[in-house]
Parts: sequence; C-alpha cells; structure tokens
Amino acid sequence: MNRDNGFVEHTLANGLRVVIEPMPQVQSAAGGFLVQTGSRDETPEFAGVSHFLEHMCFKGTAKRGWEAITVDFDNMGSTYNAYTSKERTVYFGWVRVDDLERQVDLLVDMMQSIVPPEEFEMEKKVILEEIAMSDDSIERKVYDLIHETFYGGHSLSWPVLGTTDTVGAMTRDQLFDYFQSRYHPANMVLIVAGAVNPDDVIAMAERTCGEWRPKSPRPDRSAPPSAKQAVGKRVTDRFQQQAIGLVYPAPSATHPDRENGDVLAAVLGGQNSRFFWNIIQAGIAPHVAAGRLDYCDDGMMIAFGFAEPAKVEAVLEAMRKEIDKVSKNGVVEEEVQRVKNRAQTALATESEAPYYRLMQMIHDVDVLGRPRSVTERLAAVDAVTPATIRAYLEAWPLRSDGLVSLGPRDWPNDD
Amino acid sequence: MSAHEFYDHRRLDCGVEFAALALEGRRTTSFGIRFLTGLVDEPDDRLGLARIVEETIGKGTEKRSAQELSDAFDAIGAQHGSGVGRESFMFRCSCLPEYADEALALHAELLCTPTYPDEYCRVAVDLGLQELTALEDDPQELTGRLIAPKAYGKRLGRHELGTPEGLQRIKRDDIMEFWRKNFASSRMQVSVAGAVDVESFARRINELFDGFGKGNGHQQRDYEVEFSPGVHHHHKELEQQHVLLCWPGVKVTDADYPVERVVLGILSGGMSSRLFTEVREKQGLVYWVSAWGEHPRNAGMAFMGASTTPARCDQTVKTLLREVERLAEDVTEEELERAKVGIIAKSQTHGDITRARLGELGSDLFHFGRPVPIAEKNERIAAVTIADIQRYLSEHPRDRLCIQTLGPRALGADGD
Repeated sequence: MNRDNGFVEHTLANGLRVVIEPMPQVQSAAGGFLVQTGSRDETPEFAGVSHFLEHMCFKGTAKRGWEAITVDFDNMGSTYNAYTSKERTVYFGWVRVDDLERQVDLLVDMMQSIVPPEEFEMEKKVILEEIAMSDDSIERKVYDLIHETFYGGHSLSWPVLGTTDTVGAMTRDQLFDYFQSRYHPANMVLIVAGAVNPDDVIAMAERTCGEWRPKSPRPDRSAPPSAKQAVGKRVTDRFQQQAIGLVYPAPSATHPDRENGDVLAAVLGGQNSRFFWNIIQAGIAPHVAAGRLDYCDDGMMIAFGFAEPAKVEAVLEAMRKEIDKVSKNGVVEEEVQRVKNRAQTALATESEAPYYRLMQMIHDVDVLGRPRSVTERLAAVDAVTPATIRAYLEAWPLRSDGLVSLGPRDWPNDD
Repeated sequence: MSAHEFYDHRRLDCGVEFAALALEGRRTTSFGIRFLTGLVDEPDDRLGLARIVEETIGKGTEKRSAQELSDAFDAIGAQHGSGVGRESFMFRCSCLPEYADEALALHAELLCTPTYPDEYCRVAVDLGLQELTALEDDPQELTGRLIAPKAYGKRLGRHELGTPEGLQRIKRDDIMEFWRKNFASSRMQVSVAGAVDVESFARRINELFDGFGKGNGHQQRDYEVEFSPGVHHHHKELEQQHVLLCWPGVKVTDADYPVERVVLGILSGGMSSRLFTEVREKQGLVYWVSAWGEHPRNAGMAFMGASTTPARCDQTVKTLLREVERLAEDVTEEELERAKVGIIAKSQTHGDITRARLGELGSDLFHFGRPVPIAEKNERIAAVTIADIQRYLSEHPRDRLCIQTLGPRALGADGD
C-alpha cells in the first residue's frame, strides 16, 4: 500500500488498482470504476459499442436484474450515473458515508454484467433515441464535425454514441465479447474519495474484486493525425445559427505544456477574456469562447462561436484579430494572475465535495496514471507566467488554422 | 449534520433581510443577494427588460469601468454570477473566506452605483435579439418558453429573453428607470453560508446598503397563476418531438409540499422511478424523461417532460398520463421509502458543497421568510404516508392538464 501526497493506493494481486483520497472534513463519499476504454478503442463497424455497453451494465448481472440494480442505487439515495467518452467509460455513485460499502458492492456487481440478451433490443431503442436527441443539438453536431475533420479515418473521429447504422446492426454477442475483452483488472481502476478509512476500502476491494481474473490490457492505441489545417463544413437547415471553429495544434492531456495552453485559452476566450470584451461585448455574437480539447496523445486549441449566419465573417475576423494579437504580443501578467486567482477558488470548492474530487481523480488517473492533489494542481497553474506562455506560443503557434463551419450557410464558399 | 451548523436570521437596520449559516471546516464562503423584483415587473411593452438590466448592471459604476469591475472580482478570485427569474434577481458569489468582505463591497458598488453606459445598453439589446435566434436551436428550453404563458398566465409565464418587439423598444432610460424603481435595500434578501464571521458580515451589509433606494422600497406585488389547460403544438423540423405536461401543484410553504416532493420522487427520483421504468426501461420510448416541480413564491406547478421520435410521441404521452393516474391506486411502501431516502440522502451528500447550502438558504428566505434547517425539512419528508399521497393526488386532479409539444407532428396526428 502506498500513502503519498494525501492519497492511498493499493494494487490487488490480480492487478486491479485501488486509489483513495480520504477527506475527513466531509460527510459523504463517492466511488467509481474507471474503465480505460472508449470510442477510440472501437473498430469502425462497432462504433458506439463502449457507450452501448455502459447502458447494458445497468441491465443485469448474475445477482441482480435491471430493476434490482436501480432499486439498490435508489435505496441508498445515491447520486449515480455513468458516462462514456472517447477514451474512457466511468460508473460512479455518491452516497452518505455509511452507505459506501453497499455502493461499492453494487458497482462491483455491475462490472460483472451478463449483458442480458432479453434487454438488448429494448436498450438499443433507448440509444437510438439518444442519437436522435444528439442530432438536434448544434453543440454536439459541431463537436462531431471537428473530430471528423481533424481525425478523419482515425478512431477518434467516430461519434461516442455511434450511428444509427452501427448501433442498429450491433448484436448482443458482439457486445458481450467486447465486455469480456475490456472489463477486467488490467483495464480498470476503483477510485474512492470521501470520509473513509482507506483500510476499509481496500478490504472491501479485496473481498469483492479479489477473485476477478487478470487478462491482457486492451490493444495499444494508434496515434491520430496531428495536422490541424483541414476545412470541415456541414450545411444543414436544422439550426438557425452557424457554428464556426478555428482549430490549432495543442498539447495532449499528458504534455507538460497543458496548463500553459489552458491559461492561454482562458485569457483568450474564458470569463473576463479578450473574446468577451472585444467580440461578445462588441455585439458581434453572444457565444464565443476558446478551449483546449485533449486526448492522451493529441490535443487541439479551438476558438469557436455560435452566431447568426450573416455574422459569421465578422465573428471569424474578430477571433482571428485577437488570436493574431496574442500570437504577436503574448499575454500580460495581470491576465495570467486573474486566471490563477479564479483557479484558487475553484479548487477550494472542489476540495469540499467527494463527487468533484472523484471526477478529477478519474481524469488524472486515466491520463496521467496517478491522482493529483488540489495543491499540486494549483501549483501547476501557479507556474504559468507570461514568459511560459510566450514559449508555449512558439512551440504551439496559433497560425495556419483549421476551420469548421456548420449551419444553414454553405460557408466559406457561398460568396 | 446539524452539530456544527449555526443559523442566523434578522432584518438589518438598512432594511435588508439577512440569513446566515456558518459551517465549520469549510474552505469557501458563498453569498447570495436576491432582489424581490423580476420579469413580472417588466412593462408590458418592454418584455426582456429585466434581463437587460441584469446584463448591464455590472457594466460600469461611478468608480470603475466595466472591465475594471470584472478585474476587481478576478483580483480576489471571486466566482460570481447573476440571473433573473419571474420574481427575483439573484447575484451569487463564492470566494475564499478572506475575500468575502471585499466581494460583498464589489457587489454593493455594482448594485448601488451602476452607470449603465449607453454603448453597453445598446449591445445588450443586440445580444438579446441574437439570443432569441440561439433559443431556436435549444428545443428543450424552447418548449419551456412555449408552455409557460399557458401554465402560469401572461405575467408569471414571461420568459427572460422577452420578445423581439419588446427588446427593440428598450433604451438606457428604461433600464435606469427599472433599476431606480425596483432596486432598494428594503427589497433585498442576503444569505451567506460557509466559512463566515456572521456578525462582521452583517455589519458590513448595513454599512454598504444603508439608504440604498430609499423611498423606492415598495413591496413586490404577488401575482396569481392563471392556468390554461389545453393541448398545444408548435411545428418545428426536428429529429425528436419534445413534450411538456403540467398541472397546478402546491406552493413551497404548503403543508403538502413535502408530499408533492415525494410524489415527484416516486415518478422521477432515480432510475427505479416510475417514469424511467415504464417509459424508458420497459418500452424504450425515450432517452430523456423527467418530472419536477417549479415554484413561484405563491404557487406551484408540477411538470413531466420527455423527448422522443415523432412516431412514438403519442405512446409516450399516454404512458406519462397513465403513470401519474396509477400512482394513487398502487403506490407501495417500498417506493414511498425509496423516494423519501432519495430526497433525504441527497440533502446530506450535496450538503458537503457550500454553494449548495447557500442555494437552500436563499430559497428558504424567499419562500418561508426564514431559514429552515435541513433536519426540519427532512422530518417532514420522513412523515409522508401513502394516505398523504392518495389525498394529494385526489385534491390535485390531472384532468385539466396543459400539454405542449414541439416538433414535426401534433399529438394524435395519425388519428390514434
């Protein structure tokens, strides 16, 4: 057992990692399983299988049917759910501290799903509804377009939900095979945060997961294309607004430059930012922002906006003007300090709630291989200065931008 | 839970109603300032004005420009935001305890001495018009906007984005006039939670808001809900059809409010709830289905909502209606207990977040006129019986529903 930096970590004989952050000041506890597989670990014909499986893990085990699973969650008054992303699948529950053992027991049971055949077709209908709902969301559609444009042909380009075709064609046995190949100790981590005794959690893990059989980790991931110079366009009259995005290369989730990228994005397009004052408050568009999207081996800096179609050129020009300015002159100390000050309050808030800590630990364990304390994360942001951002801009220049456009206008070629 | 919690509640000399919840061991302070004025106080021909007031109030004071004010908040790392509702303007802030005093002073500056620069007023109107375009791309919010006037009546059913006509009429003078007329310390409720020196905070409120809006402090008028049952459809080309149903419920201070919360919990409290089970799990009709309550100060409205592909909408609505009717006949003790545990447990887990405690406290002040300890609320939840549920459902019949759909097809369009 390792005790380091406020965390306790233990690895079971079968390889399952258990990571715990004791939080004696709170009254609740949150626990979850990180399963290190997501839509980028799929094959094209099974796009959406990770997400489908996430749904099916609520549908039945050898011990519980779907009704018993949901009833057991609700009998604790748990705040629970699951999500699937490009790189991971996560199951979690947040409960009163006395219910943690029951919560972990239930999550452990779900991780041994039988993927019940009799529930398969019904759940497929639910997922097809989720895809239909996603098709009505401009945010979701532009997110998918960005991935199709810059990761075309790579598994990062496939939508997390899959498509009506891939989901429609999936069989229960394919799902079960995928489940068996990915849901095992080499690919999973049990993470707990809250008012817990770590020894109790480890004993709980030994008792409930100790018999899980070790298997090989999932196949290695192939590197995605790193160029960000393409143009992606989707003309659709489904939406009233036009979504546009400028895309630049950026550090991956594991790269030491990531905090510099995040602070730069905040200065450009966060709260009280250059975009806010010079684009939104100039009346050009109500929603313009910048952010970094990252994966374990690649990242992108995106400046994006949602605007009335006639204003697209004005939004693009205004964003490029700010990007050129920051590329040429960098940022000033006051701008960086403002981001640091906000981070300090955000991290103090995060340290109050096991749920927030659990979510952050899941992210850190997945991408960095270890949890980071609130203090460590604050120190990483504190290390950013105008000089480090200048160096960032040299390493990750905001030029030769890629572009995406989605909405009623056939833009950029309609003039 | 209550061992280290200290509530305070009083009317301060400056006229502000004040409530505090000091919590030991917290690392943040959260406070909220509510003005008892909102969308209901907009002139009929200036719909959208309240939000424009909220958007522009921080855009410059007698001492600082808009950007200087934002920088001052950032200098102390204060996370602040605001919003406008039917009957309230809310200003919320979370910060490290050592900056609470300064964060409060910055709020006083922007609330008491706004200059409403012309250019920012014009831009706010322009952005408001663009937000109306953006709303068309948000089917769930759009359905809510469509049903609100039928559920609540024209005044309580106003939407914060207003109307294009109303927005286009708004000038700086209208903004100033609204602020002068409705913003005053006598219409303010301030609540604070977390790591706070209550006496010092109260003293500071008194200093900062003394005399604010003196003479303008008329009390907010209470407006009654004007509920119009009926079935309404708004055509829009979408993949899914969105549906909202509602019926009048009870106000938060009603003795039956805990009963209604439990009823909504049985319908929609978790994945084992009736709507999730019957609509999603057994029939696969939806991804999203939910039930919830909304509460103006003197009313309540119970809602159910779902989104589904158009051909399955009729079946979805039939199932929603069947479930809410059936509840009076066959609710079980197990379901009752589960719903109660869900409400009580979440109040305790979420209670670890200071901001969540502030939200509860501010809501108590608005509805009850006093802080209500969580233990007291939970006791009322724990006391709900099946007989209470049956009585509530018989006293609040669902035979006069208001139903709104948004999507490609009206209900019953295939004659079924």
